[in-house]
Amino acid sequence: MSVRAIALAAATAALAACATVPQNRRAHFADPMMGLRDEPLDAASRQKLYDTREGAAGGDGTTAGGGCGCQ
Amino acid sequence: MGRRRAAAADASDRALGGASTLFVAFLVVTMRASAQTAGGGSPTPLNDGDIEILGRRNDGLRVQSVMTRITAFDQYGHGYQSQAGPVLGPGSERATILEPQLQVVATQGDRLTHVITVPIDVVTAASPNSISPKSVDVLSGASRHVVSGTLDWGTTYRTDSASDLSMMSGLHLEEPFRSWHGGLGGSHSFAGGDTVVSANVIEVFDWFDRFDIMGNRHGRAERSSTTASIGVTQIVTPTLLVGANYGLTLQQGELGNTWNSVPLTNLERGPEILPDGRVRHAFVARAAQFLPWNGALRLYYRFYVDDWGVVANSLEGQLLQRLSPLVYVSALYRFHEQSGVDFFTTRGSPDLQWRTADSDLAMLRSQTVGGKIAVDAPIEGEVRVLHFEVGYEYYVRDNGLSMNIVTCATGYHF
Repeated sequence: MSVRAIALAAATAALAACATVPQNRRAHFADPMMGLRDEPLDAASRQKLYDTREGAAGGDGTTAGGGCGCQ
Repeated sequence: MGRRRAAAADASDRALGGASTLFVAFLVVTMRASAQTAGGGSPTPLNDGDIEILGRRNDGLRVQSVMTRITAFDQYGHGYQSQAGPVLGPGSERATILEPQLQVVATQGDRLTHVITVPIDVVTAASPNSISPKSVDVLSGASRHVVSGTLDWGTTYRTDSASDLSMMSGLHLEEPFRSWHGGLGGSHSFAGGDTVVSANVIEVFDWFDRFDIMGNRHGRAERSSTTASIGVTQIVTPTLLVGANYGLTLQQGELGNTWNSVPLTNLERGPEILPDGRVRHAFVARAAQFLPWNGALRLYYRFYVDDWGVVANSLEGQLLQRLSPLVYVSALYRFHEQSGVDFFTTRGSPDLQWRTADSDLAMLRSQTVGGKIAVDAPIEGEVRVLHFEVGYEYYVRDNGLSMNIVTCATGYHF
């Protein structure tokens, strides 16, 4: 039963994603506040901080290791 | 010794300068070649009416934005890998880092976008500086600090209205360390841009001096890191954007810095010994929701697992609020927890196959809190928008490390 419910929820979410949002209703996405990622230099600086202070770097579309001889 | 350090620093500066010259030459040649290619592609000529509206076609290089940022990190803490303390106790991890960054984005014709990024780190760190000054030190000598620089160059080519290909390359230089990286990527959008699928592969190759824990040099070491990732971004509603990404990283070679130490049961310190391979998996989910009171909520979750035994979860929330058409503020909170690597120890047996006392590889929880204010001011003239931003963050780990971070950015959009 729970598997069916999960499958139904997943299918509903997938179908919802198929509904196209018209171009004239995407104005909010032009606001810099709505970016999925931080400004690139800020993001790079923060990623390096976490990569070198936490042993869990990598993935996320970026590389792991390098610099400072860190893991 | 001083002469050798000065010679090494001089060689490093010359290498950095030479590499910069080579890079600029390569950039110029590539731009000329691509300009010729673009010219040979017989683009559709614009009629007088189009030119009046769109302006004359410009296949030359046009700078779109210049962003500068300077960030200061002031770190306090202790870790058992550091020798800047008692023989068998945790040593100091005190460090200060000043990081200026520059990024230039330029377009070339209708299809090419170049991004050049130059971060520079000025690091003063207690842990490496504590290693016997009578031996060769692992960081620059006289002023007890090291300057390192990176040059990143990425180019994106828009193949059609829905697809683009990208390549990136770069190099990193610091006194005992050299690194090269390169990568390829691509993205394609579906459903009128509602869905964007992307993938990339990045290779990093590092080579660096091998030191023992007394600071004596023993030739060179190297490592390779290959990362492949695939991601999708989806506009769900007019106010909700979501994204997901999976990345796999394979590493081979010397995966430590070679001079980290481990307190041993025989009351001495021995070298850190790490496996020569590591496989890392990371899954990331992101969401940005516009809020009715002219604000936004960003959420970030990351799950990580590797074959050294680390399982990690990171959760971040960022609340942004626009105060006026020009100004917005944001507040950030991040929580991270990780299990330690299987072979972490603070008092290891001399017979252990693998061992590390590196506090970064221990079981830990960390939190980050911070905020920033950003201004985007439209101005008359060549520069259309002037961006200014200032922020502060406090990072703290439950195994004895904390950091104050101050950042300031200025950007020019042309």
